[in-house]
Amino acid sequence: MATLSSSKHCCSSSSVYSSSSSFGFHQPQRNIPFPVVSQKRLGSKSVSWQSKCSPSSNVILMQDGALATKRAATDEAPLSKLKEGLLSVTPPEEHKQLINIDANAGKSTVSITVVGASGDLAKKKIFPALFALYYEDCLPEDLDVKFFLSKTYNDLLPSKWSDNLLLLLVSALYYLWENCSEKMEQFLNRCFYHSGQYDSQQNFVELDKKLKEHEAGRVANRLFYLSIPPNIFVDAVKCASLSASAANGWTRVIVEKPFGRDSESSAALTRALKQYLAEDQIFRIDHYLGKELVENLSVLRFSNLIFEPLWSRQYIRNVQLIFSEDFGTEGRGGYFDHYGIIRDIMQNHLLQILALFAMETPVSLDAEDIRNEKVKVLRSMKPLRIDDVVIGQYKSHTKGGVSYPGYTDDKTVPKDSLTPTFAAAALFIDNARWDGVPFLMKAGKALHNRRAEIRVQFRHVPGNLYNRNFGTDLDRATNELVIRVQPDEAIYLKINNKVPGLGMRLDRSNLNLLYKARYSKEIPDAYERLLLDAVEGERRLFIRSDELDAAWSLFTPVLKELEEKKIIPEYYPYGSRGPVGAHYLAARYNVKWGDIGVDE
Amino acid sequence: MNDEELRNMISRTLTCRIDKRENCEDKMAQFLKRCFYHSGQYNSEEHFLELDSKLKEKEGGRLSNRLFYLSIPPNIFVDVVRCASTKASSTSGWTRVIVEKPFGRDSESSNELTTSLKQYLTEDQIFRIDHYLGKELVENLSVLRFSNLVFEPLWSRNYIRNVQLIFSEDFGTEGRGGYFDNYGIIRDIMQNHLLQILALFAMETPVSLDAEDIRNEKVKVLRSMRLLQLEDVIVGQYKGHSKGGKSYPGYTDDPMVPKNSITPTFAAAALFINNARWDGVPFLMKAGKALHTRRAEIRVQFRHVPGNLYKRNFGTDLDKATNELVLRVQPDEAIYLKINNKVPGLGMRLDRSDLNLLYKARYPREIPDAYERLLLDAVEGERRLFIRSDELDAAWALFTPLLKELEEKKIAPELYPYGSRGPVGAHYLAAKHNVRWGDLAGDE
Repeated sequence: MATLSSSKHCCSSSSVYSSSSSFGFHQPQRNIPFPVVSQKRLGSKSVSWQSKCSPSSNVILMQDGALATKRAATDEAPLSKLKEGLLSVTPPEEHKQLINIDANAGKSTVSITVVGASGDLAKKKIFPALFALYYEDCLPEDLDVKFFLSKTYNDLLPSKWSDNLLLLLVSALYYLWENCSEKMEQFLNRCFYHSGQYDSQQNFVELDKKLKEHEAGRVANRLFYLSIPPNIFVDAVKCASLSASAANGWTRVIVEKPFGRDSESSAALTRALKQYLAEDQIFRIDHYLGKELVENLSVLRFSNLIFEPLWSRQYIRNVQLIFSEDFGTEGRGGYFDHYGIIRDIMQNHLLQILALFAMETPVSLDAEDIRNEKVKVLRSMKPLRIDDVVIGQYKSHTKGGVSYPGYTDDKTVPKDSLTPTFAAAALFIDNARWDGVPFLMKAGKALHNRRAEIRVQFRHVPGNLYNRNFGTDLDRATNELVIRVQPDEAIYLKINNKVPGLGMRLDRSNLNLLYKARYSKEIPDAYERLLLDAVEGERRLFIRSDELDAAWSLFTPVLKELEEKKIIPEYYPYGSRGPVGAHYLAARYNVKWGDIGVDE
Repeated sequence: MNDEELRNMISRTLTCRIDKRENCEDKMAQFLKRCFYHSGQYNSEEHFLELDSKLKEKEGGRLSNRLFYLSIPPNIFVDVVRCASTKASSTSGWTRVIVEKPFGRDSESSNELTTSLKQYLTEDQIFRIDHYLGKELVENLSVLRFSNLVFEPLWSRNYIRNVQLIFSEDFGTEGRGGYFDNYGIIRDIMQNHLLQILALFAMETPVSLDAEDIRNEKVKVLRSMRLLQLEDVIVGQYKGHSKGGKSYPGYTDDPMVPKNSITPTFAAAALFINNARWDGVPFLMKAGKALHTRRAEIRVQFRHVPGNLYKRNFGTDLDKATNELVLRVQPDEAIYLKINNKVPGLGMRLDRSDLNLLYKARYPREIPDAYERLLLDAVEGERRLFIRSDELDAAWALFTPLLKELEEKKIAPELYPYGSRGPVGAHYLAAKHNVRWGDLAGDE
């Protein structure tokens, strides 16, 4: 799968979209250490950062591993160059590590440019993730980062505002780590700011110059993170690709959702991106795929003997994918209102988890093999029918003297908006493994709790000897496997068990694995993993164009129908358990939502 | 001794431990009022006749059932049963007799005992107690298997690589080795407790939960088993050991034990069930006294994942990272399932974690003692947890040839220090069958 070289310039003529909205570049630059040179310069520490963060480092800890593929994919471009650099001076004890990173040999750098540095996502997720990677030595010590905002903002704000802002952001992490302030300073010293217009090739040429300065003639890889509104994706990509592509390394672009609103707009976006980028340069992020327990899903299935035999319609009665937030749009519903919960959560996050859950065993753990299997699942699915969807919208609610606003009370939302803030849907995969098994999805805002989980309900035991202990509804006492993605990551399996004591009473207990109790280390944020993967060229957790197409073709008809027929959402109070319609939908398929059961 | 003295003696042993219920004092007083002492000779029919008239008095003409619990040395079992049966049987209700191990020393003596008992009792009057069958987690074994969908599909040679039945005590005979020396650990623990658990574990699904249906299935397992071979057994005996200034006596230091005794205080064995479900799966047993821990557990090691995508993460020995289901019978009752899991963090490192159910955490109530359950069952005529004659025969048939060979050949036990992990021979036995003891793995 590892295709060589992506430093590709596309010539094209796309219409220049101009807008006055501001954008900024965030452009940390990092040098990947490579054995010979960096060792002399930086000492062995620069070598060891790899071991902490990428699998190959595990040689030291426990196993080699898993990540060999990752490594291979990592530094595609410099491959040809590196061999020369390497041979010589390595001290024997470093030998193993050297082998693992030999793809890095030669002088190479990675520059990470965050386009749209002033955005909410950049502040909340990207910078903290970058700093965390830097702190954990996943980024090298000599990383350079500059941080800028566009002129418009600069005019409005005190001159040092931008730097202060970043300082503010990372200082939140201060207490988590020792000697953090020192690291933070180093990190900030490596942040650079470049201001410009997203559609100005001129500004990108300037950026290119600046990057070249820092790259200083080494093999230069460039990662652009587009943290900007979707309507300016293409312009930014055009400029970046034409004017600021790496000359001798790879150039990759991370794109955030939304990837269109439906099949047509998504296909148009993909087409436009592909004018300037090759498929393997596009990294469509779905941060749910970077969550620890979603990552662990495949490990659970494929590295344990006990789950795979059960993983089919023969034993599994239904699967539930549940996402809930305990807050509403809170004054920021402008973007959301245009998309709605189905596009915002279901069509991407939940559907991706479903595909991972249901896929056949891939040939290998390589990105293309996994994504091939995921596409097969998506393409085997029945398009969603409108009868299999329930939508809802939260209304205001007063509880304990506090009053919570309804969705349409949000100033950025039209008063007559029908946009769903809640949806439940039943999906089916028409293949040999899953025929007839309902996959239920549920996603909502302003519900009573915040959680994301996968629930697998098993069938009842055929001819159960203990039937008398269960009453009439055998399905109420079945096994259930729960993978709680957030909060408090956990895996548990509900089993029937004898209540200790004389007599024979059964109840359900959990075989439990609570991550907090088992693993004291903090679990990295999904963005850290995804950024690192993008730098290393590991595409497993990013969405390929054909996956995206398949996902949209499942949801587009129903989305259109909902909008054309102006289906009124069922209203539910802020902070409630959502519309009861979800129960009736579940009941139609003989399912009971596991998260609202009494025993949770 | 009279009634009063008896009550004094009993009251000293009573505690109000069960959930620390209120008015325990009252209950105890009421209970003691119902205790009576009757003295007599075990083999005197006349004395049992007296007992009979005393019982009749209390019964006051109502429908009366009688349960005899024989808590006596085995050599007088038959006498007592004869007297009780002929002179003190209930005339209007049932009469049942609870018998404790040992049930003989081998097939012949066991047979003899059964034949004698049956002169006076019918099969359904005999309640052979094996208190391990009354343990909470052993009771739960069938519940786990048959009321959960997720286990039964895995319960065969297709998925299970081996099963381990482990019993250890952290003390020796401590001056009471007289009885033990005549029997040894194989008869004392393996042939009964561990073999019973094995049978429950491995049996086919019974037609119902009725005692006869369950025991039918257990007998089928026992009768399908390959005779135990001498080369599949290793025996050990603990020796004196000094640790931290304290010295622990060896088995033969026990004044009740002959100095030249070669009675095993430790044994490990590999057994096989030659049926469609279990052909080729080693069932390993291990039992010992004076070891480093006290525990009883069942460990089920699963096969490795065929064509494991993550095999690069496991190194060369795929069997080291397989799933394992552990039922810990004592202490701290627990069920846990070892699974492979991604270590949270960037990168892809796997390790084994437990899916856990610790009874203490889940069930705050005290778990009743096995004897409570078994006494109640005997009163209720529930025979599920008692051993039927044909089960006993089949169990002895498996072990008798081996036991005789051990004694005839005077196989010397491998000596191991008091408080150690037992003789290393157990590891070699396991290795021979491609098994690794789960309780001595690094991650426990």
